[in-house]
Amino acid sequence: MNIRDLSVKEYGEGLRAKKFSAEEGMHEFLSVIKKEDKKIHAFLSVFEDEALTQARAVDGKIAREEMLHPLAGVPIAVKDNILIHGAKTTAASRILENYASAYDATVIQKLRDSDVVFLGKTNMDEFAMGASTENSAFGATKNPYDISRVPGGSSGGSAASVAAKFAPMALGSDTGGSVRQPAAFCGVVGFKPSYGAVSRFGLIAMTSSIDQIGPIARSAEDVSFLFDAIEGKDRFDTTSVGVPSGEYSEEAVKKIRIGIPKEYFLPAQAGGEGVDAPVKAEVMKSIEAFRKNGFAVKEVSLPLTKYAISVYYIIVPAEVSANLARFDGIRYPKELKKGFEKSFSDLLEKYKKARGYGFGDEAKRRILLGTFVLSAGYYDAYYKKAEKVRELITREFESVWDDVDVLLAPTTPTRAFKFGEKTDDPLQMYACDMLTAPANLAGLPALSVPVKKYEIGGKELPVGLQIIGRQFHDREVLALGRFYEKYLRV
Amino acid sequence: MPEKITKETLEHLLSLSRIELTEEEKKNKEPKLLNDLQRILEHFEELNEVNTDGVDVIEGGKAGVNEYRKDEEKSDFRKEDATEQFPETHGGYLKVPAILEHKKKSTNN
Repeated sequence: MNIRDLSVKEYGEGLRAKKFSAEEGMHEFLSVIKKEDKKIHAFLSVFEDEALTQARAVDGKIAREEMLHPLAGVPIAVKDNILIHGAKTTAASRILENYASAYDATVIQKLRDSDVVFLGKTNMDEFAMGASTENSAFGATKNPYDISRVPGGSSGGSAASVAAKFAPMALGSDTGGSVRQPAAFCGVVGFKPSYGAVSRFGLIAMTSSIDQIGPIARSAEDVSFLFDAIEGKDRFDTTSVGVPSGEYSEEAVKKIRIGIPKEYFLPAQAGGEGVDAPVKAEVMKSIEAFRKNGFAVKEVSLPLTKYAISVYYIIVPAEVSANLARFDGIRYPKELKKGFEKSFSDLLEKYKKARGYGFGDEAKRRILLGTFVLSAGYYDAYYKKAEKVRELITREFESVWDDVDVLLAPTTPTRAFKFGEKTDDPLQMYACDMLTAPANLAGLPALSVPVKKYEIGGKELPVGLQIIGRQFHDREVLALGRFYEKYLRV
Repeated sequence: MPEKITKETLEHLLSLSRIELTEEEKKNKEPKLLNDLQRILEHFEELNEVNTDGVDVIEGGKAGVNEYRKDEEKSDFRKEDATEQFPETHGGYLKVPAILEHKKKSTNN
């Protein structure tokens, strides 16, 4: 038995059956990270001592035969925009390079209460802005399937760490696809819960009206376990409401009506956006598997899909320009480059120099764009217009739920691309979110599962199948994902 | 819809955003930044194709139910955990550069 191959469920069971100790498991992961993460760069920090201490405490509880949570002792990798008390949290930005969190995020508190062991913090695009991790101030993460390619983003480090078996599970955050897209590129499962399902308290805010924390693991079953552990209403996040509990039996799953939104399959036009033929072909095969197994499958139309990127890239920068105002050089960062303190004469200059130095190109671009679309004379034409189209996109989703229960589509228009391929053109990078951002704008739950079983070292780059559901029908989406991987996936 | 973002508009946005570019960045990055912003704004014009007459929205989020709670302290938050992260502190408080200047007696006016 190789500990690294175990699923989240098997890992927890193995610990409780005393097949191996939490400490042994932790040594295994720590040593492989030390050896192999130089190549992948999934982690920004690894909590060697704290993880071993936490693991030993779990071993103590097992020895005393205490009641344990199913996730007790299971290691987790955490995206570096989620606060863990006392640990460095950088959001992959120079402006937070030496920042240590003053408290635990609610999701971390919940996992701590479940005796989950925190392995380390993972790399990401700065402040979760990007689709490749190339915007990290500390260097990009590489895709374990092909190190000349991006792992996706912004939760690229989390997805890569799970794909490379540096951790059995991870947390990411998804604002426009930042959990699902890297999960698709790295051949793992990623879930974006409904807006309101999971507390964002302690998540460094990027776009407060959209951001959600989501689980990543190697199966939909494992993702479901982690989701159960983190969801729920939290008094520290008034937008959190949790989701209804309850199981979906296999009989109930077979009754789920599937919709195929034709706009999610349009081919790439010359110079335009669209879905690559091989991605479409793989996803069509998955859909065929559902159909052959007696699922009701129906084509539906969501014509406003094509406007999601414009809406998203107006609303997101608008909120970014406000949310990132707190990084002012006064409270953060703890320290900037040497000699910096002497280079300004007044407060205003300090703000400008600290932010000029501390933010990377994409953060700056979004702050400027957001400031522009919110400014007098442009507010109605851009921001308000975008909010209205967002409302129409939400209504359009609602209109299809009479006929179908979920939507199946590709997660991404392409497979993992090469480093540098899209960095020169922000519009090309933004187009990576074209199939994921609509669910975010409407607050819907959406899952990405690999269309088939992939092996690192195999010839194929992974493709993700996306399952989008009604708001707060998170468990329905997850149940269908589990059914797919158990019975239908080749 | 959009009027071109000029270099002057960009300077103004940088100033509003409290971001200063270095001389090197101004030379090497500003032209591309200007061009990128222009292209992105042009892309947004496609939204004019969507009829939004009569659409009412709550800007900045979703309609929800107001949450009430008792006004009582429950946090186990340690103040020092936050203040220790500040670049400069004085007596446990955040220290900021002076905003008002002392006039020195030796000045001529």
